Amino acid sequence: MTGVSTVRLTVNGTRRSVTVPSSMTLLEMVRSRLGLTGSKECCSEGECGACTMIVDGEPVNSCLILGGEVDGAVITTIEGIGNGGMTRLQESFLTAGAVQCGFCIPGMVVAASALLERIPDPTIADIQEGLSGNLCRCGGYSRICAAVISSVSRGDTDD
Amino acid sequence: MTVLDYQRPRSLSEAMELLLHDDAVALAGGTDLMVAIRHRAVDPAVVVDLKSVEDIRDDIAVEEDRLVIGGRVVMSRLVSHDVVNEQFPALASAAAVVGSVQIRNRATLAGNLCNASPAADTAPALLAQSAWLTLASGDSGRTVPLSDFFLGPGATILDRGEVVTSVEVPITKGPVGSAFARVTRRRGVDLASVSLACVVEPSGRARFGFGAVGPTPLLAESTVEDLATDDDFERLLSVTSPISDVRAGADYRGAMLRVHVRRALEAAVRQLRARS
Amino acid sequence: MTERGVGTSAPRVGGFERVTGAQMFTADIAQDDLLHVALVHLDCGRAAIESIDVSAAEEVDGVVRVFTGADFPNPMPRFGPRFMDRPVIATTETKFHGDPVAAVVAVSRESATEGAAEVTVTYAELPGVYSIDQALAPASPLVVDADIRPSDDPLTATNIRQIWEWGWGDVDSTKADLVLEDTYEFPMVTHFSIEPHVFVAAPEAGGVAVWSSIQHPYILQKTLADLLGLPIAKVRIHAPDPGGGFGGKGYPKYEPLVAMVALELGRPVRLVLTLEETFQAVRRTNARLHFRTGFSDEGRLLFIDAVNDFLMGAYADIAPRVISKSSYFAAGPYKVGAVRAKVRGLMSHTTPSTAFRGFGAPQIAWAIESQIDAAARALGIDAVDIRLHNLAARGEEIVPGDKPADGDWAQSVRIAAEKLGWSQPLPPGHGRGIAVGLKASATAGSSYCILRILPDGSVALVAGTSDMGQGARTILTQLVSENLGVPAEQVTLVMGDTAVVPFDYSTSASRSTVFMGSAVVDACRKAIDDLVSRAAGAHGVETGEVAFTPGQVAVAGDTYTIPEIVAKIFGAVPGEIIAVGTQRGEGDAGHALGGPAAFYEFSCTASEVAVDIETGDYELVKHVTVADVGKAINRQHVEMQDEGAAVMGLGHTLMEQLLLDEHGRIRNLGALDYRIPTFKDVPKSMTSVLVENGDGPGPGGSKGSGEGGLLATSPAIAAAVTQATGAVITDLPLSPERVWQAIQVSKHYEERHDSEDG
Repeated sequence: MTGVSTVRLTVNGTRRSVTVPSSMTLLEMVRSRLGLTGSKECCSEGECGACTMIVDGEPVNSCLILGGEVDGAVITTIEGIGNGGMTRLQESFLTAGAVQCGFCIPGMVVAASALLERIPDPTIADIQEGLSGNLCRCGGYSRICAAVISSVSRGDTDD
Repeated sequence: MTVLDYQRPRSLSEAMELLLHDDAVALAGGTDLMVAIRHRAVDPAVVVDLKSVEDIRDDIAVEEDRLVIGGRVVMSRLVSHDVVNEQFPALASAAAVVGSVQIRNRATLAGNLCNASPAADTAPALLAQSAWLTLASGDSGRTVPLSDFFLGPGATILDRGEVVTSVEVPITKGPVGSAFARVTRRRGVDLASVSLACVVEPSGRARFGFGAVGPTPLLAESTVEDLATDDDFERLLSVTSPISDVRAGADYRGAMLRVHVRRALEAAVRQLRARS
Repeated sequence: MTERGVGTSAPRVGGFERVTGAQMFTADIAQDDLLHVALVHLDCGRAAIESIDVSAAEEVDGVVRVFTGADFPNPMPRFGPRFMDRPVIATTETKFHGDPVAAVVAVSRESATEGAAEVTVTYAELPGVYSIDQALAPASPLVVDADIRPSDDPLTATNIRQIWEWGWGDVDSTKADLVLEDTYEFPMVTHFSIEPHVFVAAPEAGGVAVWSSIQHPYILQKTLADLLGLPIAKVRIHAPDPGGGFGGKGYPKYEPLVAMVALELGRPVRLVLTLEETFQAVRRTNARLHFRTGFSDEGRLLFIDAVNDFLMGAYADIAPRVISKSSYFAAGPYKVGAVRAKVRGLMSHTTPSTAFRGFGAPQIAWAIESQIDAAARALGIDAVDIRLHNLAARGEEIVPGDKPADGDWAQSVRIAAEKLGWSQPLPPGHGRGIAVGLKASATAGSSYCILRILPDGSVALVAGTSDMGQGARTILTQLVSENLGVPAEQVTLVMGDTAVVPFDYSTSASRSTVFMGSAVVDACRKAIDDLVSRAAGAHGVETGEVAFTPGQVAVAGDTYTIPEIVAKIFGAVPGEIIAVGTQRGEGDAGHALGGPAAFYEFSCTASEVAVDIETGDYELVKHVTVADVGKAINRQHVEMQDEGAAVMGLGHTLMEQLLLDEHGRIRNLGALDYRIPTFKDVPKSMTSVLVENGDGPGPGGSKGSGEGGLLATSPAIAAAVTQATGAVITDLPLSPERVWQAIQVSKHYEERHDSEDG
């Protein structure tokens, strides 16, 4: 049927199926059809990172992806990081004082989690580069970097 | 606004068939197209997702005397690829500044070129490295030097229904020195106000690609020996025509071109020496 | 076990929700039966609306109705915090790029947006006023409709909405060895909260319920009650924690529109602004500041003669207050014998400006600090020394007859200089700068809270402060915890619902620690008194025989925990201890600003840069901010706010500027071409120092904070760039291009002078 996409995907470990207008973005689909409002909308054009999700293992801007593109994909949103609890990284965000208004934080946490998968022991420069697509107007950048660093040096495994 | 239909063909012929329609657009990474749709700069009836078209390669491979970058290859793959970093560092540097990690995980090199922004970050390096594109249409194909690909801002020689299946760059025998430079408004993610790449060969041949200083990415060629005086550089830069826009003024762009072209040449020459 | 008391870095209340995505921001809240709104606006600044054809829009699948000005009462209701000038929606004319002319209501966002694209507006562009020069030009078109300007207003035929004249002493007869004069421009910048504004309204119980990302729910409540002709008690504002505010979510914007639409349709209605629409909705008041200053040879600042023009926008919003308050302190934190400030608030066909962190003080600091640096250079005096020479000391007046300096400001300057390494040898290509800023806090206002000790000794604190990142929830919890001796885990903070939470004037002016904090301490004290009195009664003794220490009540030889004493007091019939805490600043009707400031927020910024002379590009090598906070209730919260303010200050200093074309359209509308600082733009080394002298009026001697870090960013960095390049720049932002241009001009000037001398 034209104009409509049936999307079957795995979100935070759970298989979901939803039928949406083809023009609906992944971000809007997750927020309004899957009831997961943790991912945020700000610029709607891939400049701010507030909508960052992990799609097939890579962090991406979900506002730039159509629902149909993720048919068959595996997605992780902020709700899937920590699964009800907090990862070491999320705890570090809190103890490092990296959280102010919190609106950029879901995107930051997802992007930082993805970064740590790629570079388990990042330098400040790695973090700045890895998170360069995430804006924080509260200006928490130094503490967000410190949070990522301390989440690594606080221990090895995350259980 | 037209109701949008989404198609995800598996074969190249199916994709090209769909793209023959006036109101169909090709979707690769979506990082340019989705923005254009949102701003109503385009109003397609059909979005043809090329990401599942198996006959468009999605690998980076060294074949004989050239590097083949598949049409579906995303920027982040280029950035992390050993051969690209070793043999084409200017291209790797350029790919590394396209947007953010999130953007680079989706944006394809082919898509960046097809979008044909005069400021396309990867174009100067590819021009300087004499890249060409392999295109497919109907049941034929052609190759086009990148220097012939761009027609104007947002415009290329692609025919309706034609698709870029790969980008190819010759691998020169022996060492090469290159450099990439870019002027932006902030240190964070930004579009270039001026960008340029320089490739210098042992023969002394020096090729320059320029971005954001003309209606298309531009190519100029000279030799190291012939680039000695201010007049020499002016001749080299005569192909450029920087304008004033929301990002930068024409004066500033022109001045930065002149500063960076010298620095880039020096850096490329230094790199060549180090590798020889 | 983490430390939780006052003065520690107690964990952020609401932190868990924010890092896990569970925090419900206004757009996250599900509403039954919700309709969605998309705004229609023109690709033009000022335009005459000739006709609006909504027929095609109404045909779009999912569109319920399209509202235009014609659907609202005539005359169009107006609102505004200072002048009742802003219509609910445009009628005959758009007055700025983005001024909505229609609101499309649909069952989904997509159909609302589609519908908006199908509305056809026939309009004619009109000559508009888009700059300070245009606003001042004698024949310029008038922005304000004649019928809402008072008939006896001498400025009616101009775009000058208001003039203020501040000053003391006699500038004209003050002799000075050195007189400097220059004009400084502060650009139009926008707040760019990562959460775009959200407005939701639904009919409720004979009135209306509104959800908004608003910072000041009670001001909104009163505005809507007035507009809708409802008792305040029938207007309920839900104010979820905003995702950043910075002043841009302070005053009503589209809540009136959404509320009236919801009441008309009888259904909940939601409008979420796009990021571009937020740029069109809110900005800082830009300014041109002409300062003429006189100094003695020793560097004493003898007089200031200022003519300041602020461009307020199409509607005044709270800009008159921004202007009057900041220019009142045109002399900054200095002791100056003669000051004359003539200030004009100008109207323009641009986005209405509103409050923005700093509230006019960054604009003033840009001018006065640049002049002080110019004097230092001309007189060969060190930039630190010239400031120490002129800063008011504690107890010395800065505005005669008004509240004197309430801090050891020189101390902050010395600390900043030392932390920067001011007297270290300067590497080649580097430059250093230092600057100070002063912001007066709230002059009047009130805060109320209700504290409930519940049957099991846990506590509910009901307080109307808005937590938009500064950590109000945390510090108020800390104050309860510390004063009552109840663990933080046993304290719940109820905020953001005017039906339940008592009045709080606003969350602005860095006032909440002092005002709401004091109200909370007051409530704790009253609750303790009540607890003690009832404990005495329950034991049949006098209250004097009951001893309360945090967490413990001792009476008649026994000690009780709070849960135990509460159970004892009420016995079989459960009860609560309920206390109302109050903090009122009545202000002073005779005072030009409505009252002296509760405290001054003083900040010092010191900066070191390394400049690439050929390109104008520069690196921020080191950045130090020192905040005089009195007492940090939560050390980490205050530090992060100060650092955050410093980063925000880098925005207007390095890269932010809204650019308008000749049609009054914002050219760089959106995140692509309006650049704010990112991870890679922070200084290589950034330090925030808190000075705690316990000299504030709030709990523990606290002052407010959170604005200081951005007051003096621009002049500090500009001075550093000047030292490195020799070029003086009076316009912001200091983009690499502007720095390069200034270097060319000063090179050209030097070369001309060299050749003239030669």
